[in-house]
Amino acid sequence: MGMTIIQKIIAKASGNEEVAVGDKLWCAIDLAAMRDFGGPNVVLDYREMFGDQPVKDPEKVAITFDLHLPARDTQVANNQKLLRDFADQTGVPLFDVETGVGQHTLLENGMVRPYDVIVGTDSHMNLLGAVGSFATGVGTTDLVAAMATGKLWFKVPETHKFVVNGTFQDQVGAKDLILHVLKDVGTDGLLYKAVEFEGPTIDAMDVAARITTMSMVTEMSGKIGLIESNDKTIEYLTEATGGPIEEWHADPDAPYVEERRYDVADIPPQVAAPHSPDNVVSVEDLLGTHIDQVFVGSCTNGRVEDLRAAAAILEGEQVDPGMRLIITPATQNVAKEAVREGLYNIFIEAGAIVTNPSCALCTIGHPGVLAEGDVTMSTSNRNFPGKIGKGGEIYLCSPATAAASALYGQITDPREV
Amino acid sequence: MTVFKGRAWKFDDNIDTDQIYPGKYLPLTDKEEMGKVAMSGVEGFEDFSQRVSKGDILLAGGNFGCGSSREHAVVAIQYAGVSVVIAKSFARIFYRNAVNLGYPILESEAVDHIGQNDELEVDADAGLIRDLTTGEEFPCTTLSGLELEISKAGGLIPYLNKELEKG
Ligand code: SF4
Repeated sequence: MGMTIIQKIIAKASGNEEVAVGDKLWCAIDLAAMRDFGGPNVVLDYREMFGDQPVKDPEKVAITFDLHLPARDTQVANNQKLLRDFADQTGVPLFDVETGVGQHTLLENGMVRPYDVIVGTDSHMNLLGAVGSFATGVGTTDLVAAMATGKLWFKVPETHKFVVNGTFQDQVGAKDLILHVLKDVGTDGLLYKAVEFEGPTIDAMDVAARITTMSMVTEMSGKIGLIESNDKTIEYLTEATGGPIEEWHADPDAPYVEERRYDVADIPPQVAAPHSPDNVVSVEDLLGTHIDQVFVGSCTNGRVEDLRAAAAILEGEQVDPGMRLIITPATQNVAKEAVREGLYNIFIEAGAIVTNPSCALCTIGHPGVLAEGDVTMSTSNRNFPGKIGKGGEIYLCSPATAAASALYGQITDPREV
Repeated sequence: MTVFKGRAWKFDDNIDTDQIYPGKYLPLTDKEEMGKVAMSGVEGFEDFSQRVSKGDILLAGGNFGCGSSREHAVVAIQYAGVSVVIAKSFARIFYRNAVNLGYPILESEAVDHIGQNDELEVDADAGLIRDLTTGEEFPCTTLSGLELEISKAGGLIPYLNKELEKG
């Protein structure tokens, strides 16, 4: 029997020819990443349990700062210092406050390869499935164990297959597709499961669109989402890692538990209304809803392709007078490219606030918190109650829909601007 | 034999980690302090940690612990004094974190049939929940295989240490 992509990855990492659904196996960990959130607990637990024992392989550990930056108070600053000191002592690479969202930083720095098994203290690690690695969010204890022993156990999940056909309408893209799928699957639809996306629409996607798509698999409770390689991903990874990069595919007779089909040709821009990411409707059903703040960024929609989509709508325009538009590039490299292309000018002229690369308003902790009763449009991935301020409401959407809504201070169809 | 006895605290479906352990407390690293804000993001339960008694039992609907990967969520519940969490289903990372900490979590549909504040007795080895208030009994899962071994060792790190000693 053939294997799905996740089976092939786990087989390789556990040193087996073949693995079956349900097998629990110890896998070699290629990268264990901690952040400024979660990371301090990891270091404290590591010291408590292993004292001064060196990290098994410092090259396979990384520290990224992406949540509370630069430090806003003493506790956060102390936490960051703790991590810097740990990096100095152990030789673990650290990406400091200027670099940006962890997964993207690791990807840009060539630390992520197909078939890698990666763990990190963020639930959206699995967006790295976009480049064929099995990356998953874990807690403190798993990370400590991975640093000390270089291995962790995983259960081989069942895999679903989602086939996507059709060409997107103008101003409609990966975020709309994945919100549409999320509505169909539900927030617990893929609990303990993997999913592979395929079909002509997916084949045509660049790395940024694949990242957006895979990042939302977390919201379906999926263990991992994966997409087989295409020329664009191979090219991207070859450049980032120095290559060579092997292609990755499922076997033709790989076992899937279920197959679903989607066609994007007719889907309008999608919006997830408060307070669940699967509470998805067409933008047309919400037109005119008042919005106080708009956020473009996060690991889901913070790449330069996302900023371009927002800039295309904002160019030469002004945001609504009462509107707070906050734009955050995912990483320093994205910011540099956006500056080169003149996107910062467009944003600032339009009245936006452009912040330093970070997770920003994906979650509370960054300036831009909502007042009670405030409403925000966000390109991030979650709209749970209280996520960016008690009593605030969050609508999730694409960068294009976010930018269009910022112009009018109300939910707006980007196809109409 | 592992038996837990305490009062039932009932919660809905899809209680996410921001409700169990609100994001604003993420910089905390002291476990006792973390316990003091457990469940404080759930409306009506802001003062949960003051009201809960040591040994009490948390009952929840489906997908308990969805959301972020923060292990703080398990630690906070544990340090608030909750002895065991029983839910219809758990989010993947929460489940894994609990196993790795050797903290007991069990799956059961019982939440629909048990009253708020009922006295419960849970036999985790036999997979049985007794509602002492009503006299009713309900089945729940037990841990097995690797998860049981990790849990018996007291969590992932003690388990790995034992394995390393074995060579
Ligand atoms: S943007 Fe949000 S979901 Fe993404 S890595 Fe940052 S905190 Fe996690």
